[in-house]
Amino acid sequence: MSDSKNSICNEQTFDHFFKSHATLLRNHMYYKFGDLEQAEDIVQDTFIKLWNNCAKVPLEKAKSYIFTIATNLGISNTRHQKVKFKYRDYIKHRNTDINNESPEFIALENEYMEILKKAIADLPERQREVFLLSRIDKKTYREIAEMSNVSIKAIEKLMHKALVTLRKKIGNI
Amino acid sequence: MLSNKEDDIFLSRWINEELSEEELSEFKSHPEYEYFTKIKQGTDSLVIREYDIENALSRIKSTRVNNTSKKRSIIKLVPYFAAAASIAIIIGLFLYQMDTSFATNYGKQQIVVLPDGSEMILNAKSEASFNKNEWKEHRTVSLNGEAYFKVKKGSKFTVKTKNGTITVLGTQFNVQSQNKFFEVTCYEGKVRVNNDTIEEVLTKGKGYRNIEKRAPERWSFESQKPSWLTKTSSFKSTPIEYVFKELEEQYQIKIITNNIDLKTIYTGSFPNTNKKVALTTVFSTLGMTYKLSDDSKTVVVE
Repeated sequence: MSDSKNSICNEQTFDHFFKSHATLLRNHMYYKFGDLEQAEDIVQDTFIKLWNNCAKVPLEKAKSYIFTIATNLGISNTRHQKVKFKYRDYIKHRNTDINNESPEFIALENEYMEILKKAIADLPERQREVFLLSRIDKKTYREIAEMSNVSIKAIEKLMHKALVTLRKKIGNI
Repeated sequence: MLSNKEDDIFLSRWINEELSEEELSEFKSHPEYEYFTKIKQGTDSLVIREYDIENALSRIKSTRVNNTSKKRSIIKLVPYFAAAASIAIIIGLFLYQMDTSFATNYGKQQIVVLPDGSEMILNAKSEASFNKNEWKEHRTVSLNGEAYFKVKKGSKFTVKTKNGTITVLGTQFNVQSQNKFFEVTCYEGKVRVNNDTIEEVLTKGKGYRNIEKRAPERWSFESQKPSWLTKTSSFKSTPIEYVFKELEEQYQIKIITNNIDLKTIYTGSFPNTNKKVALTTVFSTLGMTYKLSDDSKTVVVE
């Protein structure tokens, strides 16, 4: 086992790598498979695997390694039942400057947010994944394209489709 | 634009603020514009539940520690095998049957990741053991003390204690079994509690308790995790002898009680991080005074 600074086997390198990638990995697995608790378990199992194989995985390959392992774990977890995308308790919204608003406005706003969250949950998997990675995790289309090995154009199309789907589901509110 | 079927990335360019000025002003006059803007603003106010990254990392590390110590012990054995094969076989058999055990000291907690990835968090002064080799056939943990379990879905998972047996399929629950005190609380899924006299099925938010010869108690609760995981010990109508025992285990002290009825009932909680606050909280609620010895190891209650 090499303990050089550039090896995942090095404690500090591992910690740093974990801290810079764990949140994105966890959110990505959540968008993909629909359950945040399960996504956190997947992240834990993935990084344990990475540590056990640290000598075999060079640092520059580690990122794609964890995404592959995590995706495979998620697929084998959900093979038997398709999980419905869960958003209660997981996705919240910030109430912006509601202090000056009337209770009716706030009630309408909350109602709209519930409808929006449900519409996002009902998006087809790929559209939801791209939409949330872009809007919540602020990933660029290029970064999302690299994460899933497709062209930027494909991501842009999915994003457009996601917005069209949301618009249809929400209706004229 | 929007109605133009050729432009299948228009909205994606718009939300990413890549539209040219003309395109944008044209879109703004379109009746659909306000609806899409509402979707954008709504989405941008969404947040995902926060991720406790430090906690997640320390969980991974606790598993890693178990793995490395395991590897080391095997390496150490190698010379012995070489020296005397017959003895090595005996040692091997012995190791094969030996249980993996964990014990926590005063005021400590330990996270243990079981072979299938299930988790067990041991509270202070508790012991647990399991057989790794037989884990595949039956997931069984023996426990004396208190632990919180997060069980991965799979075959039957059993916790054996002196006071009874708990079986589940995949769930989260807390077990406390000390002397004659036996309490099980279920935080997720379904749990079955068995001993000679009772058979009880607990669902989420239900608790069961059995103290010595008192009638068994059942209740409902709303909390998501046992309070001791966040370093607070809580009690609900519990005889004070068990409250004192918990104080002793958390702070490594001896509580001397003269002429005090140990069956007095206590409801309340104390922190596991500050001895003085803990002692004051408990004894002032009970209307008792206490004296801490000079070496702060003994507490005399009056």
